[in-house]
Amino acid sequence: MRSAAAVCVFRLLAFLDRVLSALCALVGRAVAWLTVGMVGLTFAVVVLRYGFDFGRIYLQELITYMHAAVFMLAAAWTLRLGGQVRVDVLYRAMPPRRQAWVDLLGSLFLLLPTAAVLLWLSYDYAEKAWALREASRETGGLPFLYLLKTVLPVASGLLLLQGAADICRRIVDLARDES
Amino acid sequence: MSWALGLFALVVLALLAGYPVAFTLAGVSLLVAGVAALGGVFDPALLLTLPSRVFGIMTNDILIAVPLFVFMGVTLQRSRVAEDLLDALSRLCGALPGGLGLAVLLVGVLLAASTGIVGATVVTLGLLALPGMLRRGYDPSVACGAICASGTLGQIVPPSIVLVLLGDVMSSAFQKAQLDMGIFSPQTVSVADLFAGAVLPSLALVGMYLAYLLATAWRSPERLPAGTAESREPLAPGRLLAALVAPLALIVVVLGAIMGGFATPTEAASLGAVGSLMLARREGPIGVAMLRDIAHDTARTTSMVFMVLLGASIFSLVFRGLGGDALVHEWLTQLPGGVVGAMAAVMLLMFVLGFVLDFIEITYVVVPLVGPVLLMMGLDPVWLGVMIAINLQTSFLTPPFGFALFYLRGVAPDSVATGQIYRGVLPFIALQLLMLGVLAWWPGLATWLPSRMFGL
Repeated sequence: MRSAAAVCVFRLLAFLDRVLSALCALVGRAVAWLTVGMVGLTFAVVVLRYGFDFGRIYLQELITYMHAAVFMLAAAWTLRLGGQVRVDVLYRAMPPRRQAWVDLLGSLFLLLPTAAVLLWLSYDYAEKAWALREASRETGGLPFLYLLKTVLPVASGLLLLQGAADICRRIVDLARDES
Repeated sequence: MSWALGLFALVVLALLAGYPVAFTLAGVSLLVAGVAALGGVFDPALLLTLPSRVFGIMTNDILIAVPLFVFMGVTLQRSRVAEDLLDALSRLCGALPGGLGLAVLLVGVLLAASTGIVGATVVTLGLLALPGMLRRGYDPSVACGAICASGTLGQIVPPSIVLVLLGDVMSSAFQKAQLDMGIFSPQTVSVADLFAGAVLPSLALVGMYLAYLLATAWRSPERLPAGTAESREPLAPGRLLAALVAPLALIVVVLGAIMGGFATPTEAASLGAVGSLMLARREGPIGVAMLRDIAHDTARTTSMVFMVLLGASIFSLVFRGLGGDALVHEWLTQLPGGVVGAMAAVMLLMFVLGFVLDFIEITYVVVPLVGPVLLMMGLDPVWLGVMIAINLQTSFLTPPFGFALFYLRGVAPDSVATGQIYRGVLPFIALQLLMLGVLAWWPGLATWLPSRMFGL
């Protein structure tokens, strides 16, 4: 029998996992639509350039912004859905319990430090860009370079949250197996 | 010096544990950097360049082609385009002994070239074509061999995203090599060059595969029996044309636009993506749900590719900070046999790494390290890129670790023995090695077309 306190802790961990993962999934599913936008806009740029001899830097930059937002902000969601590629020669053959340990230790010692370092370094990086309201270096470019740079700390933060959620989930998994 | 080697060994070991590659690369590198900084062998100020390095990945114009090509591949896969193509082709060649095998091979190459992802193609073909081949009495080892070989061959058939990634890495390696040699107005090599370079070798490989299947069918028809009268019943010419010509035309238009110099790979990829939506449209209306599924798949695959790139970029920063660059340079230049010895050693190393690492990881982790050194020795960047691509493709086919074999094992029925799969791929591996030999002997096979097209 487990103590009531332990049950309470596990419920809390499971709850945290659900909330954090739902947040990352919300962001990921939203930015995924930008891929459709990228296809449409790039196609439009091609048609405008070759059909009407019309080209604008800001359209090109908009495509770059969408592209960067997609892969950075969908990273945490992709991780949760198992979309981040693994070297699974050994992993695939492991019993579920050992897989849970790999994920728990990996999240704790590999993902969290990476996300934390990136968040810490890129926060200053983005802050400097905000202070200048940094704009594109190209004439006729978008004046929102500081927003693009903000994607970096935001994506790092999402990875940090998803890492925390994965840790909660794996602790609950391992504890459930034991009982 | 030995810190760099330790980092490399530790990364490979950690990867084997199975935590996602991107964060293993980044995490292990940062941990080692931390320890090394405490020991005074790593300058932590190097890490301050991380945000601008990541930002460089986010704003790399060449790589915008990746999500667009992925979009095209996912759309083709999710619509019934591949099924229709296979059906049409197998009816067309059904009367021939080995005809179904030829059809599967061609569809596999086309599918793999458009998605550029070995796993997806082998699994799709394994589910789509393998049961039909077995039902018709095909020798399971021949059937499995054809499926695995065509799934991996697609990696080197343009416009596979593998070539886009390799082209990007090769282009910066080429710049670096020339700067190191004191050439300050360097020549460039582009994704389009690599596409053009891969055309003849990949066509030659497809030809060799087809010839092998036909020869086997001719020598022992019972292993690749011809279809029954019913399965040979021809399609109406209109449907045949639609199923057959439209997907081929799509690939030809995309490639033609790039290699003719009319469009950048990114622009051509958007044509391909829109074209694939039009093909899917013929199979039925594209609803919001389908578009959402395509968008989700595209976003996740793209994110996976770029996260590995991000992790590898952190790894290479730390590896360089620990003096690994100099180590690789010294190692490669001191090998006996000069440039031939160095090339052979690199090819062997990549072949072995191909057992555990995927194409993307090797492209981002290994090529930036060894590429500049090899190019400084005077090798042609397009030739080197194509050699690497074919080498890795062979590695993915080789038992017992080849990726393609695992994927097929996962979806093949239990009646097919693993040994039969292994036996089936052996002839294809022999053809691959033959091709590598031909290309090593005669580099013009890769370099002639790009030089004719772009006048390098």
